[in-house]
Amino acid sequence: MNTPSVLWQKNPALAWREIDEATVIISPNDSVMHELNDTGSFLWKNIDGHRSATDLASLLADSYEVTSDVALADTQSLLEEMFSRKLLMPVPATDGESR
Amino acid sequence: MTTTATGPTPVMDRLIARTVHKRRPLSVHFDLTYRCNERCVHCYLDHDDHGELTTAECIAVMEDLARAGTLFLTFSGGEIFLRPDLFEILAAARRLHFDISLKTNALLVTKERVARLREFGVRRVQISVYSDIPEVHDAITKVSGSLGRTLAAIPLLLEQDLQVKLACPLMKENLLAYRGVMALAEKLGIPYVLDLTITPMMDGSAGPLAHRASVSSLLPVLHDSALHGCKPQPNAGVDGAVERSLASLGSTVSSGIESSAYEDLPCSAGHNSCYISPYGDVFPCVQLPQAAGNVRRERFSDIWYHAPELERLRGIRESHLPVCSRCEIRSYCERCPGLALMEGGDLLGAYERACELAEQKARLAGVFNPVSALHKGRTAAASYATSGGEIASLVADSSPN
Repeated sequence: MNTPSVLWQKNPALAWREIDEATVIISPNDSVMHELNDTGSFLWKNIDGHRSATDLASLLADSYEVTSDVALADTQSLLEEMFSRKLLMPVPATDGESR
Repeated sequence: MTTTATGPTPVMDRLIARTVHKRRPLSVHFDLTYRCNERCVHCYLDHDDHGELTTAECIAVMEDLARAGTLFLTFSGGEIFLRPDLFEILAAARRLHFDISLKTNALLVTKERVARLREFGVRRVQISVYSDIPEVHDAITKVSGSLGRTLAAIPLLLEQDLQVKLACPLMKENLLAYRGVMALAEKLGIPYVLDLTITPMMDGSAGPLAHRASVSSLLPVLHDSALHGCKPQPNAGVDGAVERSLASLGSTVSSGIESSAYEDLPCSAGHNSCYISPYGDVFPCVQLPQAAGNVRRERFSDIWYHAPELERLRGIRESHLPVCSRCEIRSYCERCPGLALMEGGDLLGAYERACELAEQKARLAGVFNPVSALHKGRTAAASYATSGGEIASLVADSSPN
């Protein structure tokens, strides 16, 4: 699932707010609260349904002065974790589009 | 990334600490209307429409709240389902990613409406139930058949996986009914709160207080072993996300603050929570009716960050309270600054009801002869007056003729 080219979107059922560099997310179904740190918040803010892990890693590398490899590894790890917690979902592929 | 069940947890504590420190309005109680289809005898609102915010105005306020950092948004009233635009407002709240809670009497809840609540991400619904006995409940609401209709809504909400909580304000009329409400909640598998707070009207008139149960009549409730394991639940602002860990418990109070993040603050009002009336007035709390501004004249954020009323409130510390800070039984007290103002006339002061309840709770906890600072002060003053009188009398007696 977490291939670098998959586009990601936020789970639309979630309540969330970025408050002073940290992001708090609540899953309404189970009332579980998740807290993202600075890097997680950065990614969260940029997950818009149009970006892949590669795109997000590139933004991360530019903003946090880390190498592309490190940024991609961190990004994929965080995306995987957020996906496993149902905070994210992949954007369904449209007909004829390859990712 | 940190994950935790919502409740008085490290994540919530950090969130509270951060929002208090940075003065972010984390939690907002937004009354959409004061109109109501019940006429509860103890209600602190009038039921007229003096010019409610329009749909567009409500949405503009919510956009401002989202920008300011509000996460927990509670819609209440009045009866919110009397707003024909309720679902438009909820749709906007969903779009703005709020954690949404509702307070309702549930008379107008239908299967179709519940499906829409679910669609718009409503997480919790609090329903007022005064008794499991129809005659008692309906006598309080003044609507015949209201208990049956209210209870019929609960399975509809639960079927859609919405969290439901029963709220039972206790007053003279239903004082002995709380056990029935507890049993009802337990049977339904939902949390409940017993609320001992009956407040004056928002305009300060004392009408509802005639229904308030005396502290002595509340003793059986305070002594009820079924409630002893229960802890106070955090304030209305933040409790939008605290129920899960307390799901099997009830509480005899609803205004306590558990989080250590509040430290020396009297409560969350004005620090990270506030109340907005249907007319756009912004108050620190629904129980502290000192308007800081109106969203029709100013942006919410301008009121929140710059209103002198809120600045003054934020400067108050528990340790500064002239009477309560030296009270030996303060830890048993559920003092509310708003009630201190409305009932005692002093935002910083002690008031009779809180002191009486604190003494009873302290006694229940095994404190020998607990006396609040307010009552100690009165006793000392009375003693001084009495002894002063005796001296005067002796002086008079010994005066030469």
